[in-house]
Amino acid sequence: MKNLSVIMLLALCLCIGACAKKQTTNPDGTLGGDDAFSSQGEPISIDDIRFTDEPSLRNSATDKRAGLATIYFDYDSNSITEEAKEILKENAKYLKNNANLKLVVEGHCDERGTSEYNLSLGQRRALKVKEYYVQLGILPSRIATISYGEEKPEDKRSNESAWAKNRRAETKVIVK
Amino acid sequence: MNLNLTKLTNIFFVTLFILFSYFTAGFCQDDIYLSLSGSNASRSGIGLADFVPVNGTFEEMETAKDFRDVLENDLILSRHFNVATANTSYKFDMKSHFSYWAQKNVSVILTGEVSVVELTKLIITVKMYDVDSRQLIWEDKYNNTTVNYRIVAHQISDEIVKRFTGEVGIATSKIAFSNNNTKYKEIYVIDYDGYNLRRITKDNGINILPKWVPHTNQIIYTTYLYNNPDLFLVDITKNKRKALSTIQGLNAPTSFAPNGKTMVATLSRGNFPNLYLLDSNGVVLRRLTEGKYIDTSPSFSPSGKEITFISDRAGYPQVYIMDIDGVNLRRLTSKGPCDTPVWSPKGDKIVFTMKADRFYDIFIYDLPKAKLFRLTEAQGNNESPVWSADGRFIAFSSTRSGKSEIYIMGVDGSGIRKLADIPGSSFTPAWSN
Repeated sequence: MKNLSVIMLLALCLCIGACAKKQTTNPDGTLGGDDAFSSQGEPISIDDIRFTDEPSLRNSATDKRAGLATIYFDYDSNSITEEAKEILKENAKYLKNNANLKLVVEGHCDERGTSEYNLSLGQRRALKVKEYYVQLGILPSRIATISYGEEKPEDKRSNESAWAKNRRAETKVIVK
Repeated sequence: MNLNLTKLTNIFFVTLFILFSYFTAGFCQDDIYLSLSGSNASRSGIGLADFVPVNGTFEEMETAKDFRDVLENDLILSRHFNVATANTSYKFDMKSHFSYWAQKNVSVILTGEVSVVELTKLIITVKMYDVDSRQLIWEDKYNNTTVNYRIVAHQISDEIVKRFTGEVGIATSKIAFSNNNTKYKEIYVIDYDGYNLRRITKDNGINILPKWVPHTNQIIYTTYLYNNPDLFLVDITKNKRKALSTIQGLNAPTSFAPNGKTMVATLSRGNFPNLYLLDSNGVVLRRLTEGKYIDTSPSFSPSGKEITFISDRAGYPQVYIMDIDGVNLRRLTSKGPCDTPVWSPKGDKIVFTMKADRFYDIFIYDLPKAKLFRLTEAQGNNESPVWSADGRFIAFSSTRSGKSEIYIMGVDGSGIRKLADIPGSSFTPAWSN
């Protein structure tokens, strides 16, 4: 049963990958033609999905929900810990039960390192969480990602306990 | 600014020649840091006499004095000169002043006249005399319609630097940065001497990572105004802005090619942040890097043929160099996490921040020597270094005072000064050219 779902998921990914390639405009319509970004004939795996069908966050608002918990990362890491995986599985249940919801994964960092690098680190954290949601069966087209780098700390102090709270990914619901 | 060539004396030419030889020799040999640190022996002496108020009104007298103070500060901050001033009792006197200034060990005297016409128009005449030959070697007239004596002083300082050294001056330059005093992050601009602070964005949102478009009054920055980290362009004189790159996902840290026609930006496009080449209107020309790691913080070489950037493809962020067509990748560093490399205006150095012990510090990688030099130590976190247009100074942010503020130091790490006392914390300076 588990194998079957993995195969189905991969088939789905292939389909999405193929569809994405045919697109000539992006979701936000900023570019015509996607040639510069198409993958160079590499086999498509879960790691290589190009999430160009992300829902747009432009001019939208987001909302926290009781069913969606925040996960935390180690310093300069985007690996999802075993503890975080359990939290994301619970989040995924909520998302499956509310299949009409679009969501955003926000990646955040602590203040160490420069704001430039942290913007990218936050993006990668958000992407890692999105990947895991997709592995859990959530459609990638439901999930937007955004990085706030170190710009929105949960705890503004400069110490280890504050930093631990700030290295996080929040899952929120997109509301119009 | 007409140069009166007929009045240039042989001695001035000789001075120029000696200075030029010195800087050229210093650049080629191993003592580049000594020459740029400007030991007193190598500096020219400038005697700064009073500027005479032509009509003698109170406003003129005040303006003349303030103008002279700004010019004096500019010449000192340039670190090209030893600046001597007269005793308070000194009165400019054509008969005795050359011998007076000769005792002060200066080679030229700077003086002039200031007039304010109809309370709005400022006219400053600047005169430079050679002490040995007692000849007028330079005279020029500057007009300003808003009595902005600071600008005129900066322009004159840059002109003097150019005449003595052949290098660009930095007195008319500005520094852009982001600051959190409003509880948000907004972009500000300040003159290089710490005066004339202006707030550029007023969004009550996140506006970060300002970078200058080369040789313009335009700044690009990343803003969350529309709930996506977009790249915007703002003209600080016209106070107008427009969206430049608004692709879904990260549109972040950018470096313009020296000719201003292309730029390299970090885009995520719903995937891992990689580097892309864009035209100056934000249209993607091609992708430069690929892979499941972070590639960010690009900076063009002055030739426009290469970029330096950060990648964590080695497992942690390191400094790399790559040709602009995406080939010939080389890794420069082997320690660290490293961040925000910026190529020097002359192309021979890359400045960046590296976590050396507990804190981040500023380092320079000397490309011809393939050697690393440390500039800061044991003074909090020192990050986001950028070059002055003449490559002799570095602006950076430091937490040495307990909060992040902008500082400027010489390229050898000497002469650190705080840019200004600004409320809140300030980050990511960008220095105009």
